[in-house]
Amino acid sequence: MTDDIITIEIDGRTLQARKGQTVIQVADEAGIHIPRFCYHKKLSVAANCRMCLVEMEKAPKPVAACATPVMAGMKIKTRSEQAREAQKGVMEFLLINHPLDCPICDQGGECELQDLALGYGKDVSRFTEAKRVVFDEDIGPLVSTDMTRCIHCTRCVRFGEEIAGLRELGATGRGENMRIGTYVKKAMASELSGNVIDVCPVGALNNKPYRFSARTWELSQHAVISPHDCVGSNFYLHTLRGKVQRAVPRENEAINETWLADRDRFSCHGIYSEQRIAQPQLKERGKWRKVSWDEAIEVTVERLQSVIASRGSETIGALISPSATLEEHYLFQCLLRGIGSSNIDHRLQQCDFSHDETMPVAPWLGMDLNAVENLQAVLIVGGNPRKDQPLLGHRLRKAALRGAAIMYVNHRAYDLNHLAEQYLAATCDDLVIQLAAIAKALMQKTNRAVPDALQGLLEQVEVDEQQKTIAENLHKADRALVLIGSQASLSPLYSYIVALSHCIASLASVSFGTIHIGANATGACLAGALPHRKVAGTADEQPGLSAHKMLQSARRAYLLFNVEPELEAWDTATAHRAMHEAEAIIAISNFASPTMREYADILLPLASFAETDGTYINAEGRWQSFTAAAKIQDDAQPGWKILRLLADRLNVSDLAFNSAAAISKVLREQCRNVVLNNTVANIKLPQHDFSAHNRRLQRIADIPIYSTDAVVRRSLPLQQTIDGMEADKASIHPQTAAEYKLETSEYVSVTQNGNTIEFSLQLNEAIPEGCIWIGLGVPGTEALGPAFGDIEVSAS
Amino acid sequence: MKRRLISWLKSFFFWELFQGLRVTGRYFFARKFTIRFPEERTPKSPRYRGLHALRRYPNGEERCIACKLCEAVCPALAITIDSEEREDGTRRTTRYDIDLFKCVYCGFCEEACPVDAVVLTRFHDFHFEERGQQVIRKLDLLKLGDRFEEEIATDRQTESKYR
Ligand code: SF4
Ligand code: SF4
Ligand code: SF4
Ligand code: FES
Repeated sequence: MTDDIITIEIDGRTLQARKGQTVIQVADEAGIHIPRFCYHKKLSVAANCRMCLVEMEKAPKPVAACATPVMAGMKIKTRSEQAREAQKGVMEFLLINHPLDCPICDQGGECELQDLALGYGKDVSRFTEAKRVVFDEDIGPLVSTDMTRCIHCTRCVRFGEEIAGLRELGATGRGENMRIGTYVKKAMASELSGNVIDVCPVGALNNKPYRFSARTWELSQHAVISPHDCVGSNFYLHTLRGKVQRAVPRENEAINETWLADRDRFSCHGIYSEQRIAQPQLKERGKWRKVSWDEAIEVTVERLQSVIASRGSETIGALISPSATLEEHYLFQCLLRGIGSSNIDHRLQQCDFSHDETMPVAPWLGMDLNAVENLQAVLIVGGNPRKDQPLLGHRLRKAALRGAAIMYVNHRAYDLNHLAEQYLAATCDDLVIQLAAIAKALMQKTNRAVPDALQGLLEQVEVDEQQKTIAENLHKADRALVLIGSQASLSPLYSYIVALSHCIASLASVSFGTIHIGANATGACLAGALPHRKVAGTADEQPGLSAHKMLQSARRAYLLFNVEPELEAWDTATAHRAMHEAEAIIAISNFASPTMREYADILLPLASFAETDGTYINAEGRWQSFTAAAKIQDDAQPGWKILRLLADRLNVSDLAFNSAAAISKVLREQCRNVVLNNTVANIKLPQHDFSAHNRRLQRIADIPIYSTDAVVRRSLPLQQTIDGMEADKASIHPQTAAEYKLETSEYVSVTQNGNTIEFSLQLNEAIPEGCIWIGLGVPGTEALGPAFGDIEVSAS
Repeated sequence: MKRRLISWLKSFFFWELFQGLRVTGRYFFARKFTIRFPEERTPKSPRYRGLHALRRYPNGEERCIACKLCEAVCPALAITIDSEEREDGTRRTTRYDIDLFKCVYCGFCEEACPVDAVVLTRFHDFHFEERGQQVIRKLDLLKLGDRFEEEIATDRQTESKYR
């Protein structure tokens, strides 16, 4: 290694450098600033802006610091007469065609060109000819374009190719006629597209929803954690007079690097939706009345107490969002257990809970996010991290680019941005059989034993070539991962998926990971927001009902914490019915949809993720706390305060915390001995007949990227993206469409559980034959039934 | 004794009264400073810094582009602006408030404005009757601009060579 270290001199300072580094990298590490536009540390070197010209001793001309590798004994001067002269010259050329519209440009105040023009620009232009004008293209609802401002650094083009994996933006023409635009005039379909806003050094690409709403210098910056997926991306919310204006990434090499997913960046535009609850409200004879907090809490307590007195506390059900904070999960379950009900759950989208007792303490990725990019083989079961956890998807893509074999077993094919094998399973049975075959292939290869519970199933299945390849890939890799994706829990045979995936991982001796929907599923499990487990995984002696069961066998009263069961539950129709039939629905929520206003009795306004203190635990098991970024809207209150107050009035003791930090401190203490571990021992599996063949049309489902939670569903810019607009369409394979005479119809009537709903229809080869795909969590699906199951269709 | 006598004589002959009347008399015939405000007004410099106004272009379009430079430069934090994208895609203010109690009439806002939108007019005799009226809104500022446009324009013209 020591040979690789060389010594160079920059501005008279002697610096150590590794061979292969460029001058600009060494200078950056030493804190010597060299001006640049096209160089970006996460992108390849293009060396086309020439702003980074520096003087190198013994070189006849200045050299580009971003493209010059270091050599032993090299002497660089970044501020010499020659270097300054060259830099100023470049700047003059750049400013020739750059418009003078800084006062109306949203980049003004944080613009790299503006900053450098201050140091290197001339105050009077010598250019008297006409400036160039470029017409803008509409590239979707997230990114605004002012292409006259473009300085052709090609960072955005390289971002598209190298990071997003889609050639969305490209340069056409040369010199004066060079244009940056979308090759095909379509919206940028990437789930990371918002990053071009940060990557662009000038104001050519900017944040569209934020357009013209504030200036950079008047914003205050608050560090927060992503409330949408289990990656736990770090970002900043920028507020103006207490109101959130936009989100920008916060660099954290271990988690999100310098990037941010569009869902995290643009979801903040949903928090001020019209459906936001402003004040506590009570329903009296069908009419809503705004009341004070005191009255609302008093009535809530009365209602709960009367249900407990007349029917017993086990008739109360409680559902909490997996994206609630750790503190909220903890207080919520303490409150419910305090009044004698263990019917607490955050897993609304799940229906198979048969392995609950043997499940690990909390879902865990099985490794650090950083380690994912060095994997050689990954088998993903039930999920598409690219859309479900975009920055985990980005790590997987990096691994794929380094040659890893990435394999998916899913109910539908997904559009991927890297090389991978996708294996499709039309039915839930089929998916389990495929996994069993992979396990069997591995068993034959390794001669190892499998758990007794699986033996019978493994005997039934036959192994084909595909499954052998998967087994082979996993077996020969030194570093591999079997990952249960966040969509797998929708399967009615989830316990089989868990058992088999675990079996595959242990047969191949590779890591095993599980990730769940929501930002804080790991935290929810540790905090005890589960019917069968309390804090830190200790068993509850009187386990309650799981989310699905408490909706199926309807309860008298429900306490909802920022969930919309009629959209998020596995069986939406049943959830919807349970809500309507209950005596009392108490909704602590950010928003109230018209549907919620129909069934709820008490609405308690909850502070949004931007307005509360809290902690999220990400898929790696990393605890990340944050404080409120924005002023609370109207009369809302942070969740932990509402729950604390309720606990106090309901005489639940020991919850008199005075801050969110105090709660997480207590929890940390209680979770001190918990080591995250995915081992599944002695799994109990439900009886299932895998030989029966169901020939009827099946519904398959997953949760689309912009339908994951209430805020995202209300963020208009996200809903207007391609992903957002396709979420509420029913997709079917052309062959199957022909079978049901749907190939020419634009709309389809879908009947499930006797309820018929009309959807617009999309023919899509990604859906296996014999199935129709309808997303979960999509507004309009309230009356539909289970996420998986029989369904009828007819043209309409 | 002698002092008291002089004092008695002075008061007897109204000496001090005449002394005072002498001043009165002098000013009675001297050139007058007083003007009959508001019918009469003193002349003002084209650089006078009175009440603010927002100007328009000759075609009636408001000049202000919501760049908020005036808000940023204001030493008294008297200006508050909210902005948005107007339907035609241009950047405009939805609110432009100046708190005239906070304002110190320094004129920095005018200096900062890239499009000569906010200006300080020669108009200085304004008053408020109720609390809250001291915050002057965008529409009123535009109206002031319309009212004084001619004067504002000529003033900027005369001063342009010094700027
Ligand atoms: S749009 Fe921005 S990032 Fe892309 S080439 Fe132009 S200046 Fe560079
Ligand atoms: S005149 Fe000075 S104090 Fe008054 S608004 Fe303008 S900048 Fe502020
Ligand atoms: S008045 Fe001038 S400086 Fe103030 S926001 Fe408008 S354009 Fe900008
Ligand atoms: S930064 Fe080196 S050429 Fe652009």
